[in-house]
Amino acid sequence: MKKRIASCLLAALGLVLPGMLAAKPAATADWAAVSREARGQTVYFNAWGGSEAINAYIAWAAAEARKRYGLRVEHVKTGDTADVVRRIQLEMSRKHDGSVDLLWVNGENFKTLKDGGLLFGPWAEQLPSWRHVDLQKPVRVDFSEPTAGLEAPWGTAQLTFIADRQRVSAPPRSAAEWLAFARANPGRLSYPRPPDFHGTTFLKQLLLELTPDAAILARPVNEAAFARATAPLWAYLDQLHPLQWQQGRAFPPSAAEMHRMLADGELRLSLTFNPNEAANLIAAGQLPASSYSFGFRKGTIGNVHFLAIPGNARASAGARVFANFLLSPEAQARKADIAVWGDPSVLTAAALAGHAKAATAAPGALREAVPTLPEPHASWVGALEREWLKRYGTR
Amino acid sequence: MGQCRQCLPGALAIAGMAVVFLPVLPGLLPLAQGLELAVWRGLLADAQTLVALRVTVISSVVSTLLALLLALLLTMALYPGPRWPALQRRLPALLAMPHAAFAIGAFFLLAPSGWLARWLAPLAGWDVPPDWQTVRDPYGLSLGLLLAVKEAIFLLWMLAAVLQEGALQRQMTLARSLGYGRWQVWWLCLLPQVLPRLGWPLLAVLAYGVSVVDVALILGPGSPPSLAVLAWRWLADPELALQARGAAASWLLLLVFLLLCGCGLLLWRLLRAAWRQPHGRRWAGASWQPRWLAWPLLGFCYLLALALLLWSLAGPWFFPAALPQSWTLAGWQQLDTAPLFTSLGLGLASAGIGLALVLLWLECGPPALSRWLYLPLILPALPLAAGQYHALLMAGLAGSGFGVVWSHLLWVVPYMLLTLYKPYLEFDTRMITLARSLGLSHWQRCWRIKWPLLLRPILAALAIGFAVSIAQYLPTLFAGGGRFATVTTEAVALSSGGNRRVLAVQAMLQLVLPMLMFALATLLGQWAGRHRQGWR
Repeated sequence: MKKRIASCLLAALGLVLPGMLAAKPAATADWAAVSREARGQTVYFNAWGGSEAINAYIAWAAAEARKRYGLRVEHVKTGDTADVVRRIQLEMSRKHDGSVDLLWVNGENFKTLKDGGLLFGPWAEQLPSWRHVDLQKPVRVDFSEPTAGLEAPWGTAQLTFIADRQRVSAPPRSAAEWLAFARANPGRLSYPRPPDFHGTTFLKQLLLELTPDAAILARPVNEAAFARATAPLWAYLDQLHPLQWQQGRAFPPSAAEMHRMLADGELRLSLTFNPNEAANLIAAGQLPASSYSFGFRKGTIGNVHFLAIPGNARASAGARVFANFLLSPEAQARKADIAVWGDPSVLTAAALAGHAKAATAAPGALREAVPTLPEPHASWVGALEREWLKRYGTR
Repeated sequence: MGQCRQCLPGALAIAGMAVVFLPVLPGLLPLAQGLELAVWRGLLADAQTLVALRVTVISSVVSTLLALLLALLLTMALYPGPRWPALQRRLPALLAMPHAAFAIGAFFLLAPSGWLARWLAPLAGWDVPPDWQTVRDPYGLSLGLLLAVKEAIFLLWMLAAVLQEGALQRQMTLARSLGYGRWQVWWLCLLPQVLPRLGWPLLAVLAYGVSVVDVALILGPGSPPSLAVLAWRWLADPELALQARGAAASWLLLLVFLLLCGCGLLLWRLLRAAWRQPHGRRWAGASWQPRWLAWPLLGFCYLLALALLLWSLAGPWFFPAALPQSWTLAGWQQLDTAPLFTSLGLGLASAGIGLALVLLWLECGPPALSRWLYLPLILPALPLAAGQYHALLMAGLAGSGFGVVWSHLLWVVPYMLLTLYKPYLEFDTRMITLARSLGLSHWQRCWRIKWPLLLRPILAALAIGFAVSIAQYLPTLFAGGGRFATVTTEAVALSSGGNRRVLAVQAMLQLVLPMLMFALATLLGQWAGRHRQGWR
């Protein structure tokens, strides 16, 4: 673990130095120009729209942006971000003006955009709010891919499991225990069907734990490494699936659907990427009050999610001004508030001090310290999903 | 029709329709990448393809045949009889129920943790939902069955139009008076006449079943989904190779549709060969008439609407409680009204423009071309919507409100034409002759005589156009570039999420919007005709 952190820090340093050399002294003057240009612009913010809490938060931020910066922000509620990526590709290949100004993104979607040269910037580290960002967090790498200032961190997340105390008192805390739990509760476990984001994350979690040499996962994938590293995962899933809900022939479409199934007792365990999700759902009456969150003993996958601006954005200045606001201590503290969204901040504790409500965990939220495991390199995602679909996609 | 002597309105009518229909053709060109051999190899090598194909074939065949069976059974049981007009009156409201709302309501009723299972739970001793697959089964059977129920309503509506002609009823009376039993008359005499008339509606049902995405997302299996969903996902994938595979899957969808059409035609030929001339034997006893037969169908539809309403007002409501632990208006109070108004705007705009185009066409368009305008109804929607999207991209209009309205028109116009065609045809031409003799010009005749007299069908067409626009899912997503959140796209997006209250609210809105428009059309029609007896 220590070695991993050290290597992360080194990588981060490698990224910081060139950035520092390139930094311009005229940043403040530039920002004033950006703000002037932004006034009156309309920013189409494409962000996943499947959660009321998140939608309400974005609506608040949009209203604030209108009041403070004379900026119109339209939340385009998307289902799958890959859909938006494709639209950007298509528009840029035809030299059209963009329909997307700001995009909520991370992982392989970011990598696709970055590799295709489809992003505006670098801009993220020129934002005035950047000085508050907690550089201890992996805000400059996205699934082992350097962000290079092409996207600004927005929030952090960590894989967290949910159970109902009425039904489960001793939850599984490792891949091996998960399998044992499935044996004891046949038909009551499942995970969202990859390529659903949560389903794929669960696969990566299992892979990190089961693979003989986790260090391989930080490097770009190749065929030989993939076969070697993933063999134990498939052996594990071959055992797990027959014990799952619907004997593993069907999978829930999303984590949100799993929460509902957990609430009805159809499933015993659910999973989320937000440590505060269970608390949110209890407050909204969608989970029984006896629900609680937990993690694996050796840790669970965590990452940062980001904001990016496509190269063909019509309102790139407006997008930067809005991103800067979303990154401000005020907006970040509100976002972390359990009553609002409960998405952990990317800023330093010092920056948030004046704003944050007392961070007492609400009922149901994750109360234990779960170590954060790094995401595998982004190239593993596609390979894992393809192999999973090949093996289990047609049962 | 066609009395228009001036060339300009005729050209205008053709131009109007051309703008709606023709740009799709160049838009289909990018789909040609799906015709390359290598892409097809990739498509067939993908393990999901064949299983997804199985789902599509099973669900569309089940939905088409079962819908036909249901509709015919109901008709044979109720027509002629006092219950038939009663059923007929209920049809428009049921027809106006959008597919996605119907699917969500059915899911609320039938899922293992659904309302019916909750009623059964105390009897069966369940404290957790049974590990069953009453919806989303891997074969697509439940998808097919529920589509069949919905499509049966559409077929009943088409049958009602056929049966309105008095000839069939007179034949029935005559045959009964000769001593043939009710079911015997239907089998020997009426079915051979009615079935061929159902050919085109059946094609529409089949085309819908093959290419439906929204209902398949809600009720269909996930691993893998139906071919239409798979094709749509591939078309939306960032990877270009997968986009090509999606294009190929669209063509495969079209191929499957044509093959199934061929099978249907063959089946019809066999059936016709099996029909013999009446042999004179009478089974007068076969007159049993199960008048209650409509109730299961109607009851199911009402129950699922009730389930939607309850869930939209429910507080915490976990299995196996039969009713919510508490009630709340939160779902309605916290409603984001933007999708509602977007839907309303799109629906009104497309129904309004659609009406203008259809009236212009009926007045001045060449009637010989009319049949081509129904093509979108009997073709799988997926390639068409993708073609529209490419056409809009070429024109730089993708993601604009104009683009979305235009994309809806491809389906709104044919349905409006379908509704208005017959009333227009049956309009008493002596009125026009009389008006001409009084020296009224063409448009004066329309404006002062014809259209006011046809007000009710025109209002009905408006309501139908509106309902069709509200229910559009694929065109809204494609042409709108994801920017236009309507009650339909919201409902489908939320259907994979967990909050049933919010989902129920959107589905209710989807249900209520077209209903209101139908009610408004009926009321306006009655109000306008309050002093005119016998006015149609």
